Amino acid sequence: MAGPTIIIEPSHDTPLVWFDVSIRGGAAADPRGVEGLHRHVALLARRGAGRRDRSELDETLDNLGAAVDVGVSRDAVTVSGLALSRHIDAVIDLAADILAEPRWSEDEHARLLRETPQVLDEIRDDDSALATRWFDWVCTPGHAYGRTSLGTEASIQRIERSAAIDLWRSEVTADNLVIGLAGDVDEATSSRIVARLLERIPAAGKRSVIAEPTSTAAPGPNGGRRLILVDKPDRTQAQLRIGHLSIRYGHQDTAAIAIAEAIFGGMFSSRLMQEIRVKRGWSYGAGCALRRSRKPHWFEMWLAPGAAVAGEAAKLTLDMYAELAEHGPTDAEVDFARSYLVGAMPFQSATARSRMQLAVRDAVLGVAPGYTMGLAQLVGEVSASEVRRACAAHLRPENTMTVAVSTASLIREHLPSEDGTLMVVAHDAY
Amino acid sequence: MKSAWQLEAEASIGPAGRGHAVKRFRLSNGLGVITVIDRRAPIVALQTWFRVGSRHERPGATGMAHLFEHLMFGQTEQLPPGEFDRLVERTGGESNAATWVDWTYYRLSLPTRDLPLGIRLESERMQHLVLEHTPVEAERDVVTNERRERVEDDVDGWLDEQLMAQAFTAHPYRWPTIGWMEDIRALALPEIRSFYRTWYAPNNATIVCVGDFDEEALLDLVSSAYGGIEPAQMPDAPKIVEPEQTRERIVRAPKPIATDRLLVGYKAPGQDEPDWATLEIIATLLAGCPSARLYRRLVIEREAASSVDAQLTPFADPSLLRLAVTTTRGHDADEVLAVIDAEIAAMAKDPPTKAEVEKAKAIAETDFWTSLVDVDGKAEALGHYETALGDFRKVTTIAERLAAVTAEDVARVVRSTLIPSRRTVVIAQPESDDAADDGEETDD
Repeated sequence: MAGPTIIIEPSHDTPLVWFDVSIRGGAAADPRGVEGLHRHVALLARRGAGRRDRSELDETLDNLGAAVDVGVSRDAVTVSGLALSRHIDAVIDLAADILAEPRWSEDEHARLLRETPQVLDEIRDDDSALATRWFDWVCTPGHAYGRTSLGTEASIQRIERSAAIDLWRSEVTADNLVIGLAGDVDEATSSRIVARLLERIPAAGKRSVIAEPTSTAAPGPNGGRRLILVDKPDRTQAQLRIGHLSIRYGHQDTAAIAIAEAIFGGMFSSRLMQEIRVKRGWSYGAGCALRRSRKPHWFEMWLAPGAAVAGEAAKLTLDMYAELAEHGPTDAEVDFARSYLVGAMPFQSATARSRMQLAVRDAVLGVAPGYTMGLAQLVGEVSASEVRRACAAHLRPENTMTVAVSTASLIREHLPSEDGTLMVVAHDAY
Repeated sequence: MKSAWQLEAEASIGPAGRGHAVKRFRLSNGLGVITVIDRRAPIVALQTWFRVGSRHERPGATGMAHLFEHLMFGQTEQLPPGEFDRLVERTGGESNAATWVDWTYYRLSLPTRDLPLGIRLESERMQHLVLEHTPVEAERDVVTNERRERVEDDVDGWLDEQLMAQAFTAHPYRWPTIGWMEDIRALALPEIRSFYRTWYAPNNATIVCVGDFDEEALLDLVSSAYGGIEPAQMPDAPKIVEPEQTRERIVRAPKPIATDRLLVGYKAPGQDEPDWATLEIIATLLAGCPSARLYRRLVIEREAASSVDAQLTPFADPSLLRLAVTTTRGHDADEVLAVIDAEIAAMAKDPPTKAEVEKAKAIAETDFWTSLVDVDGKAEALGHYETALGDFRKVTTIAERLAAVTAEDVARVVRSTLIPSRRTVVIAQPESDDAADDGEETDD
């Protein structure tokens, strides 16, 4: 039986210790119709564990100057901690309680069901978050990564406490964990901490395989660009998200696409920033990224032009993207991006905490240990022709979804919807 | 070359026995250099801090300091447009900048081997920035879009701007660092050039370098690159004292949001004043952790808010202790204000327990060390204290100041500071169906 993956990164520069315990199986593994379940169970576990109820747990952690939080991504739930090194044993015991002995308070369960819709309200108030939420949902209908960790107003109300408990018990097993520890700890303390975290956790649960997204296959419809205008009153600009389903992180072309990403929208010198911001002053920012996930995820572009130029900006972005897909970058651009990406790696791995987090993420995403730290070497070995081939193979300008959050009456007629696929929705409809 | 430098101050930053030495050197033209050797990674944080922020602007020309945050990445006499960013990005490094009320700083993160490039670039743009019509207009458009994104279309940005505008009537803290939209559009080229000549001078700057480098080599590089720059005549800095606030100020306005949001600002002392540390403790006790009093009352017990946050703005002159609250469905800002008043009254009447104060100190200790984890964080802390408060060594006294706070101090400062007549409240409320006719409403 495989045990947990364990990563230790000591550093004695400050008297702090960080730990991440990632539980494979995140929001993408929520049951269909019960979206939000992983987030709900993780927050519920944090609201009372062992002999302490929520208030006592909060008070105890605060008295130590420590924090233990839960986070939910598409691929994992992560219990993260930060403690002064003199208190690390006490904080680890509290984290172990959260992992092994949540109290599953009925009151807190009911409270969470009331609270989560308020978080949806906050997203609706935030144009950038709203654009991302809509884009995730509509980019590739049916894809597991389209379901955000929060769920919907309807799915939240379907969450049952018993199902939440069952989910936690099936996933919090030693063979399903990735444990990372960084900071002011020596080897002996690290071993003791890991043993303490694991001593009350079953080696394996009923499910002996890693939780997988319930669906990853469904691609978006081929046959044209789609555009959704999310109508919100009183906007002066448009939050734009443009993209499509692409490759998974760790795919053999990851290094080539990382170079294309840097050239198109990953640097200040990138094509998008130069054309959208520097030459035209249309948007404060403009960029793109391949989402790093366990399964194939989006290649996504973003910008926030003023409403008066939103249509032109969207059209220019799509035209530039089509040009990149067809012709790829020049040799000089590839050389420049390679230099940037290889040179940037020491910054990403400069602290013990960042090295630990990169390694934990690699394990969660199912790539080889050290993959991200070694990506710079792979980038250095990719030729310009390989980058052009990867662009032609994986960039899909003919099959993009565009989401625009703005005031429909201001920008509708200017948006590039030549094939009539524009749909207008109310900003609070999802 | 090191002999050209005057070593002015030394200290240590970090845990006892394993801290890093911090030194401040001064060049004859007034340029300050702060160094910290940290060899954990082959990188350097190179930051150039200028003692110029939005407080140094005049009414009608707000946003000038922030505009430079953009212009300084443009063309210089030696560098064609875009070359600054290309040179930095080719190394794998990054560049950015920040402007606030008391300062502006420019940040380069570079591989150690490229430190000479960084010094050359910073020296070049301190002296030889090209300020012509075309690049200025392009950046003006970018800044107006930045403002739309951060203020016009962002309710939290709007709340923040309104709070400062209402809370201050005389002090320059009353205008937003990004500037009023009409001022950004009107900034004239001659005044832009004059601003550059006035404030971008060696005797108004401090270079902070943290990371894996050779100190003597750095000082040689800086001497060569900056030694020939003449100091500028700095304008007199008139001491502007904000009049005592004697009545509560309240502003309400409709916004396209789901529930009420409010931002409350109580007049607070500047960061260097004795009661600052006590207010840091108070902010934590009110809303700085999951067991904080307001968080418990509003979020957990009454379920009247989805979030509560407290922040003490780290300004040189007296500023604000701010409470930000997002209400939940079925609750409103007036209910939240009543709870805030009740909690503050309770804290004024009965001092917190010693254990409660110790809790806030433990959280502050963790926050302090967290801010110093990487080379950028160390450089930012040192640069801020040197530029806003006049001496980087004040970073090293934070722990002592916090440790000295007592429960009685907390009650005393709550009674003297957190009173309704010294506060400003800004409330954003969901629009009604006829919101188009609603305007802002101010009570004073």
